[in-house]
Amino acid sequence: MIPARAVDAHPTPAPTRVAGVASTAIYGLLSVPGTTATVLGTSGHAVWLLVNDDIVVVSTSDATRLPNGVQIAATAADDAFRMVHHGAEVQMGFGRIMLEGLTVNVVRWWDPRPVLREISPSMLAAAIEGLPSEVPDVASQQLRAALSTGSPVALLAAAKPMLGKGPGLTPEGDDYLAGALAATRLLGTAVASTTATTLLASIAVHLARLADARTTTFSAALLRNALRGQVVAPAASLLRAFTGRGDVAPAHRVLSAVGHSSGPALAAGIVLGAQALIAQSAK
Amino acid sequence: MISRVEIHPGRYHDSVRLMQASKALQDVAGVTDALVAMATELNLSLLGEMGFDMDAVAGTGPNDLLLALRAESEDAIAVAHAVLDDALTHKVAPSGGLDAPEPKTVGSAASVNTANVVLLSVPGEHAFVEAMEALQNGQHAMIFSDNVPIDQEIILKKYGVDHDLLVMGPDCGTTIINGVGLGFANAVQPGSVSMVGASGTGIQQMCALLDDAGVGVLHALGTGSHDLSEEVGAASTLQALAALDADPATDVIVVISKPPAAPVADKVRRAAAECAKPVVITFMGESTLEEGAGEVLAKLGKSQTSYGSWVAPNGDHRPGLVRGLFSGGTLRDEARFVGMPLLGEIGKREGEAGHTFVDYGDDEYTQGRAHPMIDQTVRIERLAAAGQDESIGVILMDVVLGYGANADPAAELAPVIAEVVASGAAVVVSLCGTRGDPQGRDAQAMALNKAGATVFLSNAAAALEAARLATTRTSV
Amino acid sequence: MSDLSQLLDNDPVVATAGTDMLADSIEQQGSPVARADWRPPAAGTEAALAALATDGHMPDANATAIGKMLAVRPYLVDVAVARDAFPDMTDRTFLHAGPPLEWERASGPMQGAIIGAMLYEGLANDPEDAAAKAARGEIELSPCHHHGAVGPMAGVTSPSMPVAVLNDAAGDGVSYSTLNEGLGKVLRYGAFGPEVVDRLHWMDSVLGPVLGAVLKSRGPVDLQSLIAQALQMGDDGHNRNRAVTSLFLREIGGALVDGADAPVDQRAEVFKFIDGNDHFMLNLVMAAGKLGSDAASGVPASSLVTVMARNGTDFGIRLSGTGDQWFSAPAPPVEGLYLGSYTEDDASPDIGDSTITETVGLGGFAMAAAPAIVGFVGGTAAGAVRRTLAMYEITMAEHPMYQIPMLEFRGTPTGIDAARVVRTGVMPQINTGVAGKVPGTGMVGAGLVEAPMECFVQGINALAANLS
Repeated sequence: MIPARAVDAHPTPAPTRVAGVASTAIYGLLSVPGTTATVLGTSGHAVWLLVNDDIVVVSTSDATRLPNGVQIAATAADDAFRMVHHGAEVQMGFGRIMLEGLTVNVVRWWDPRPVLREISPSMLAAAIEGLPSEVPDVASQQLRAALSTGSPVALLAAAKPMLGKGPGLTPEGDDYLAGALAATRLLGTAVASTTATTLLASIAVHLARLADARTTTFSAALLRNALRGQVVAPAASLLRAFTGRGDVAPAHRVLSAVGHSSGPALAAGIVLGAQALIAQSAK
Repeated sequence: MISRVEIHPGRYHDSVRLMQASKALQDVAGVTDALVAMATELNLSLLGEMGFDMDAVAGTGPNDLLLALRAESEDAIAVAHAVLDDALTHKVAPSGGLDAPEPKTVGSAASVNTANVVLLSVPGEHAFVEAMEALQNGQHAMIFSDNVPIDQEIILKKYGVDHDLLVMGPDCGTTIINGVGLGFANAVQPGSVSMVGASGTGIQQMCALLDDAGVGVLHALGTGSHDLSEEVGAASTLQALAALDADPATDVIVVISKPPAAPVADKVRRAAAECAKPVVITFMGESTLEEGAGEVLAKLGKSQTSYGSWVAPNGDHRPGLVRGLFSGGTLRDEARFVGMPLLGEIGKREGEAGHTFVDYGDDEYTQGRAHPMIDQTVRIERLAAAGQDESIGVILMDVVLGYGANADPAAELAPVIAEVVASGAAVVVSLCGTRGDPQGRDAQAMALNKAGATVFLSNAAAALEAARLATTRTSV
Repeated sequence: MSDLSQLLDNDPVVATAGTDMLADSIEQQGSPVARADWRPPAAGTEAALAALATDGHMPDANATAIGKMLAVRPYLVDVAVARDAFPDMTDRTFLHAGPPLEWERASGPMQGAIIGAMLYEGLANDPEDAAAKAARGEIELSPCHHHGAVGPMAGVTSPSMPVAVLNDAAGDGVSYSTLNEGLGKVLRYGAFGPEVVDRLHWMDSVLGPVLGAVLKSRGPVDLQSLIAQALQMGDDGHNRNRAVTSLFLREIGGALVDGADAPVDQRAEVFKFIDGNDHFMLNLVMAAGKLGSDAASGVPASSLVTVMARNGTDFGIRLSGTGDQWFSAPAPPVEGLYLGSYTEDDASPDIGDSTITETVGLGGFAMAAAPAIVGFVGGTAAGAVRRTLAMYEITMAEHPMYQIPMLEFRGTPTGIDAARVVRTGVMPQINTGVAGKVPGTGMVGAGLVEAPMECFVQGINALAANLS
């Protein structure tokens, strides 16, 4: 008798294959074949992956769309990430992410950088009127002055104490700073401010290095996105609304509802960035 | 009093959950102080200020989860851990057994996912009621269904125009919004070219040509095959044109239609002239889609390109008529437009004398069947029959790829093509697809080519080649 | 508004109706999609639905009508004698349940109840005499609904009977219903024996006056609040009224014990009577519903169902936009459980105005709140939840006060939209008692029944024809 080969009573089921939609900001990360990522965390809405020194977030369609995100059609109620474990190693490449129990195949890309139409500083001033530009516990004067004057040295000095300030995956100080930087980048182009563009170009590398040292990898990644004008979808809507596409109030409400402190801090940072541009143009 | 500081390396949680967890810990009896946060420099200094032992946190970084507890007893610490685990891992339980029944109308379906577009493919006589409800709910409507009475189309479109809602259709085969294809649509790369089209396959061919030229597509708004009729007066086309002109992410606009009624064509041209952005107009019968794509490339400042083709090994083929077997109406019309200068009159229906280019997507041939882009049975049968028919020298057919289309059309066609070619006729395929299409454009082309067909990505080029083969008989 | 720019600035979120292939291909692209399990509308309604959609007033009209239905605040204010309450009532007028009816077409229980009421009023010497007189047209039959009133089962209301008077505290509506006789051999199930007539006499001489005195002493009773509480205690408001009856008895307890101007033995009799009848409050819940139904009626172009009622022969409905017009079809048989040795063959077709409860978001529509009755009407607890959930598809609102604990306190599906009924084929779900078909039998069972589609088809066509 040949002994029967031990049969696994619970064979691993074949992973479910789903289509994913990804940000063009992480095209490079997803395309390189043979990449190994580590699962940093998971929830019903998302899986956070550490890829080299960068972060990729796979999320459900009812989660906020992130500039470093891949979204699948399922919602949190579908519990699509139930088999994914914290700490697991995940293979990815050629636009495919092989999570435990779930293979995501990217079939479509979106650009997280909203294209804004040109507007005048006075129009911008009218659009942001009455919106808060401060967050509690974060001093904004230095940042405001640095952005208004276009001083790279002052901007780096202002950014330093904000990085990593506050609880959570994206500390509040980082969100505030990211909002201000993204607004400077995107609205700077919309109001044709060369000062703004030059300013960001000159600090980008330094700020990224500073962020890597002082805050969470996830937050640092989002700051690098912000420098390039790549933002979460509700922030893109708010920025569009500032240029007259859509209503400001509902867009501000939606962004403010993101996360616990993230959304409001991001929104306040964007308004601060806009105010600095207006101040700049008045000079 | 017991103090405890723990580090959980690499454990990520969003801030909402951490806030909730902190709150839950503070509510645990016997716990006097609690901090759950990512170990950023600032949070570590906060930990110091709270008087916790800082030795435990040496060497930690901002990707680590920090847990600090001060409690009256070990029991309280243990409870706190359980509470924390629960707060950080709790997932919403599925509502087993209490699931709502499936929505029965598109209105109630839309309330499930707060849809902003409804896509209707119900029988034409019922589409109006569903579409009107969608519009009244503030949703845009794409009506894939055909056979909707024209007066109902006019009412829907008037309502849409009055309420800034887009009515795509009836008889709208293709729409792309931000790269998402509705109906029959090809996978496109992100780009800044947007289209307005009263013709589904016209849009698909333009997507395919631009994709081959390395140009991405942002939106392609289908307006339905009757939009440019005199009665409807281009209501949706004009609305879509204005919307794309105002869209900052769109750089070049393309308008695609079968030949419109003359006064309507003028209206569209005037509106296009008033646009701030460059508008390329491609009306069948005036120019080809390939010419339109060329104009788009010019507007983008790109150099002209020749579109992909896979030529069959030069072989002799028998003389005879050209038989066109199409699944896309616009592709058929364009092929006739291109072919007639060389071939003379080309019939549009089966059984007519001389060359015939038939649209098998027409109602006449789809009774009780899926569209020929999905179900190729009728065309395969006609292809085989044409191979047996000594009077036929060349067979021209389109193969449309993309979402919604047959999963592997080449696999079904190849054996028949091989037989037909072996019997002495030539087969020319107009392959309409993009590199990202789920069927794999190049694999499809190669399979068809291997079976003996000459394959072109440009429909106009395919038609021209078919006409050329029929008029100048190739010899080895 | 800049809807079109919003369409272009975001990924589309799509809902589909029709071929699954189109929905599948959207999912293949990583986008979420919601699908409708669409089916064609009921035959003969296509043109009417198109006309209503073209007209475009229906959504606003429905919002107005359902708003009125939900705004009423029913209070029990008084108990009056029928002939005083109804100005059009003569000594020979007999109100009945459901749409208009002639004696010849009346079902067994309806004829039995009329006979019983004639005996009670002293208009006939014996049952044969009563039947002969009724057949000769010596009495006048008129639907309760034509008089602001409702009655369960046969719903027969004669001039000497005491009727509850309800006022709308938020408006000026008034509604009426008879007082519930209890179970067993009772008039509303078509029984007419001496014990039935005796009880009716006791009700007009003791129950009515004592309740009137109680209300005079303590003031009006807020019925909506009682019904809302009762739904959280396992009532559905139609087939289970045990909780609401208990709550009512507590509500009036003080005045009944001390305060009402009535002899102590009569007050004790009334207490025992209400305590012994789990369905005592059914009639009052129905009258509360009637207030909402009347408030919502007469809104042009509204497809809100304001009345569903059966007379044992016909099932009739009314729509808000068509006012007093009835749309009737043969009353369907009830599928259910039968008492003792009774079978379906002993059952009368569906009867009673009690479907007013379903019309206002109670009864079958609130069945998920009442797992205790599923055995009684023949069903399962899960089935009860499914029934309630299915009703959201054809209703206009979730009731702000009537909530279902099991559905996370979601409001009951309220306000039937006849247009959605014909479009979806989802029929209003009713749970009901069953009367024996032979006059005088009484109750033989209970069960579930669906409103007939034909009524809704007629109604939608009439609504479309009414459009100016």
